[in-house]
Amino acid sequence: MIFRTPKQTGEWVNRDKKINFTFEGEAFSAFEGDTISSALWAAGQKVLGRSFKYHRARGVLSFANHDVNVLVTDGVDTNMRGDVVTVKEGMALFAVNTKGGVKKDKNSYIDSISPLLPVGFYYKAFHTPRRLFPLWENVIRNAAGLGVVNFNYPRILKRKTHSHCDVLVVGAGPTGLTAALTAAEAGLEVTIVDENRQLGGSLGYNRAADSKSVTQLDGLLSKVASLPNIKVIASAYAAGYYPDHLIPIVGESGINKVRAKAVIVASGAFEQPPVFRYNDLPGVMLGSAAQRLIYRYAVKPFNNGVVVTANDYGYRVALDLLQAGTKIAALVDMRSAGNANSAAELVKRGIKVYAGHCVYEALASSDKLGVRGAVICAYDDKQNVALTDNKFTLECDGISMSAGWAPAGALLYQAGTGMQFDYGVEQFVPSRLPNGMFAAGKVNGIFELEQRVRDGVRAAHDAIRHLGLQAPQNQAEKHVGASPSHPYPMVPHPKGKNFVDFDEDIQIKDFVNAAKEGFDNIELMKRFTTVGMGPSQGKHSNMNAIRILAKIRGLPVEKIGTTTSRPFFHPTPIGHLGGRGFHSHRLTSLHDWHQANGAVFTDIGAWKRAAYYPAAGQSKEDAIQTEALAVRKTAGIIDGSSFGKIEIHGPDAALFLERFFTGEYTDQKVGSCRYVMLLDDSGVIADDGIASRLADDLFYLSIGTSNAAAVYREMQRSQQIWQLNLGLVNVTGAFGAINIAGPAAREILSTLTDFDLSFESFPMSSVRESQVAGVEARMIRVAFVADNGYELHAPMAQIPHIWNALMQAGKKHDLRPFGSDTQRLLRLEMGHPMPGIDTDGLTNPFEIGAEWAIKMNKPYFIGQRSLVILAKRPLRKQLVPFVLADNFKGEMPMDCNLVVDGRNILGRVTSISYSKYIDRCIGFAYVSPDKKEVGSVFQIRTDSGSLVAATVVKSPFIKTLKGA
Amino acid sequence: MQQFDVKKIIETSPVVHAQLKESAKWEVINGMNTAVEFAGVAIEGARKKVLGVADISCLQRYGVKGPNATQWLLERGIAIPTTPNSWTTCEQKTLVLRLGSSEFLIEDQLGGSACSRLESDKARAASVYKVPRADAAFIVSGSEALNLFSEICSLDLRDKSLAAKDLIMTQVAGISATVIRQTLNGEPVYRVWCDGTYGPYMWEVLIEIATELGGGAVGLTQYQNS
Amino acid sequence: MKLLTCPMNGTRPLSEFIFGGEYRQAPDQDTCSDAEWAAFVHNRSGAPGDKKEWWYHSPSGTWFIAERNTLTDVVSRTYLAGQNNTTQEEGK
Repeated sequence: MIFRTPKQTGEWVNRDKKINFTFEGEAFSAFEGDTISSALWAAGQKVLGRSFKYHRARGVLSFANHDVNVLVTDGVDTNMRGDVVTVKEGMALFAVNTKGGVKKDKNSYIDSISPLLPVGFYYKAFHTPRRLFPLWENVIRNAAGLGVVNFNYPRILKRKTHSHCDVLVVGAGPTGLTAALTAAEAGLEVTIVDENRQLGGSLGYNRAADSKSVTQLDGLLSKVASLPNIKVIASAYAAGYYPDHLIPIVGESGINKVRAKAVIVASGAFEQPPVFRYNDLPGVMLGSAAQRLIYRYAVKPFNNGVVVTANDYGYRVALDLLQAGTKIAALVDMRSAGNANSAAELVKRGIKVYAGHCVYEALASSDKLGVRGAVICAYDDKQNVALTDNKFTLECDGISMSAGWAPAGALLYQAGTGMQFDYGVEQFVPSRLPNGMFAAGKVNGIFELEQRVRDGVRAAHDAIRHLGLQAPQNQAEKHVGASPSHPYPMVPHPKGKNFVDFDEDIQIKDFVNAAKEGFDNIELMKRFTTVGMGPSQGKHSNMNAIRILAKIRGLPVEKIGTTTSRPFFHPTPIGHLGGRGFHSHRLTSLHDWHQANGAVFTDIGAWKRAAYYPAAGQSKEDAIQTEALAVRKTAGIIDGSSFGKIEIHGPDAALFLERFFTGEYTDQKVGSCRYVMLLDDSGVIADDGIASRLADDLFYLSIGTSNAAAVYREMQRSQQIWQLNLGLVNVTGAFGAINIAGPAAREILSTLTDFDLSFESFPMSSVRESQVAGVEARMIRVAFVADNGYELHAPMAQIPHIWNALMQAGKKHDLRPFGSDTQRLLRLEMGHPMPGIDTDGLTNPFEIGAEWAIKMNKPYFIGQRSLVILAKRPLRKQLVPFVLADNFKGEMPMDCNLVVDGRNILGRVTSISYSKYIDRCIGFAYVSPDKKEVGSVFQIRTDSGSLVAATVVKSPFIKTLKGA
Repeated sequence: MQQFDVKKIIETSPVVHAQLKESAKWEVINGMNTAVEFAGVAIEGARKKVLGVADISCLQRYGVKGPNATQWLLERGIAIPTTPNSWTTCEQKTLVLRLGSSEFLIEDQLGGSACSRLESDKARAASVYKVPRADAAFIVSGSEALNLFSEICSLDLRDKSLAAKDLIMTQVAGISATVIRQTLNGEPVYRVWCDGTYGPYMWEVLIEIATELGGGAVGLTQYQNS
Repeated sequence: MKLLTCPMNGTRPLSEFIFGGEYRQAPDQDTCSDAEWAAFVHNRSGAPGDKKEWWYHSPSGTWFIAERNTLTDVVSRTYLAGQNNTTQEEGK
């Protein structure tokens, strides 16, 4: 640990505990609390990664997760951020995206051919000859890119939780901490979040060799700790803004969605690099990175450095470097006037200060893995050109860069904040904040420490008043003094390699070329150059890109604007986003019976339904045909508990049904059942079902499974509009249903009830209430799957008892369960079209021949007026029952295959199946009206394109074809 | 015709499917086969301190709605919560939940008799509509209860936001549910009701999270004694 | 996630609600022309501005009307249909 300094006040490492790990196979030791980068840097290892495109050696740049120079893998995780991930005992780490190791990356030759690979090269090159494209694609994919995806990554569930607070403060620097304290002292419940594992932000490291700020920070932190109404979330980032102040906070253990009543964004600013040739060499780093290395991890950034600055910040960094024991070869200030007072202080300490100068280029050591010097020359601060006549070289092993800041304003942008460019600070600042959003500190263009603290108080007061409590209205302050950011800290160089975006190896000339190609709008330029599209998402590059484009186009910066900022602000693991995964589903009380009896389940809406019950080794098709045959020959039983079931109580119940459905219900006799069909306003079929009248003022409605919730919802809405004297009760979940059908159904059922089941006492389409197997049940005689069928409706908890009693009683009749797939075949044999299967979002009742179900001579029903219009128009299509040829052996047409006439499409198949009972292929299809007559023949085009002839027949199929 | 002894018909718990995997002790309570013990009294007692989840679906319930429901219940001696979406108790322990303004769910605790009394009143009254209930119902308690709810409910259920007599109809684990908090035998608990057909799903979710947080399934006798 | 205030159940996240379309008055079906009816059924105004909308609070089964500006997405008030004299600010 040759670069480790003596103990620094407030350092984040625990010197009592050593950690051993390896990097690229070499053994290293660290202190507990070190990040991967700080541990390696302390040991003198400066090449920590290779760049994405040119495979250039890279070291520490921001040391704050604003760049991805240091991406490592431990063999499990793919792209670990070395600058912020703490090193753990026994870690075996490797840099990603190298061929042969980070120091001797064989792909580094790409850097030397970089002139052949300008931005956008892959849009233009390699297109011809086309046959070679797969080769090039393979080469490029292998050379570029980051870590290798670990396909054995363990599936770790991360929790997604909710929490609530009055005020959420984003960022725990001096501004955020002050704001949080102010709000908490007013009695508000405050949550404060910071991405660092310790609070304090720049107060911890921006010291200018003065420990006063540490004392100030300690004071703030002890106050925060003393207030129980402040919740601190460290090591987690506020990842986005969603409406009404919902902020997902991403931490190691998962995502916490914080719902706040007000949000104070004190997220600070990202330091931006000045742009000069070889500003990416290991050893060239941002000033704040140098400070973080020194004060958080007690690591000396370099031995003998040059400080280049374009603001006053560099002078503070210089003092911190001196404090850490770094020699300073010179401070180079790109501003023509520099800062005379600060310069004098440095000169007093024997340091050369060059105002109006720039680093023209950093000089690489012979192995290209570090810095050996800096070329300094005069800089024209107005024209932004280097004046190289009197350039000279200073030997150094590192360069600290300070040029300015970009606001960490992602959340503000996402919340819809209006931003304007403030030339006093050369930065975008909020000009119009959404309701309940407040900004303070650097993100608000306030940089001086005491002003930031006051800005934190001001923002907190604004938030307190927003929440209806009393607080003073403080005047917002403006920055005074020199701008913290330089308007154009770029140094052109004929040989380039002056990097703007370190993620994507983008240089100044790439922007010039993009503009020449016509991509001179910021959004287009972003996509052509890919600036800001790497994992850093522009944190260290977007502001410079905007400045460069402004210069190219000769426009002021605010006319260029910024790119769109989308959540999430920082790459977030998919495991975090996925969370536990809640897959709600409904089960009937017979679920365990179905499972025990080998059912294959299918999802219908939220329900798990038994689809069929294959015997061992039996195919799905065989199982369905066997079950269907049982219903035709003896008896079958199905769990219909998922059917929608709704009670309509009250004197106006029949009137309600008449308005809601197409049929007539006021004259329906108690004890009888009628078909119901629901249309929408445009006359399209929405659903159908059966209404059973249990009393003058009570109807029991049963409808299909998948639409039940929506139909009930529409009934509630209609009732709210019509205000009839009735009550709607949804008993879908409270009642179960069993349908027993087939020639033996009545005999089986008769053993469980003393009710007279004779056809005279209990005719078709009627409902009776009686005990079945000792349980009060509603019995409905329906002919949905077979002429002889009984639906039994009873409380869900008692359904298994009835079912078991029926199965017992049905043994001698070989009663079999059948599933919902079999039910579809059975109803097809019966000739019943099903809404949603045999109809679609455009089908009106005339097209399925359902005129019989519509009573037009009522005052009103939903869809009636549209049917009046539709009735005047010629039919466009007609649903017909059809059969394929006897003994058809060709390619079986499928649902949705087209009905064609030459090149014309006449319609489509909606249902088709082989029926073993009828021994024919039967189905429904839409055809043109001229083909609707019985005996008409039409052609179905199969998936492979062959044509199959089908003949229109009369339905029900079992009557027509079987005479049943 | 086969004869059935109505008293011996055992009802199927809505939650049973999710509980079959656990080696629970089963008992018939209120005619419903119910998992009453999952891990012995001592372990369950310890679980409960951290995060206990009990299935109380077997409790007797009675539902009624309609413009005259309030009056109808008052006439039958049922105390009515004064405001919509609130709850109260009557006959010592029986819960009376007011769902919205004109719908009620009455839940007897073990040993209560209000529901069977109401059930026996078969006469239909104007603008009073019986609502058959088949709820899955749960009690959740322990030091980590709010931690559990923070993952499955987006609302703030802390005491400062959910008043003692508040009733909320919201989504829990993505499905519609009714939630109240209550002090039961001196212990703060949350109670959750959902449609019984979602019962196995809800139980699985609650138990999975509870187990992760150091708790788990407990028998209803941990909370109920007749 | 956006919050919406149900007049019966208070302020809840949008995931508890189902959108029910714009609240519109149907023309008198007995006197309107076919064209008027077709316009009511099929045409919607997409122009941004203040709209009355149907919303359904799913856990409680409550339909209500929300007045929302579709440009700013600000809900100015919500109320049960037929009770639009009771003003209610959207909770924040």
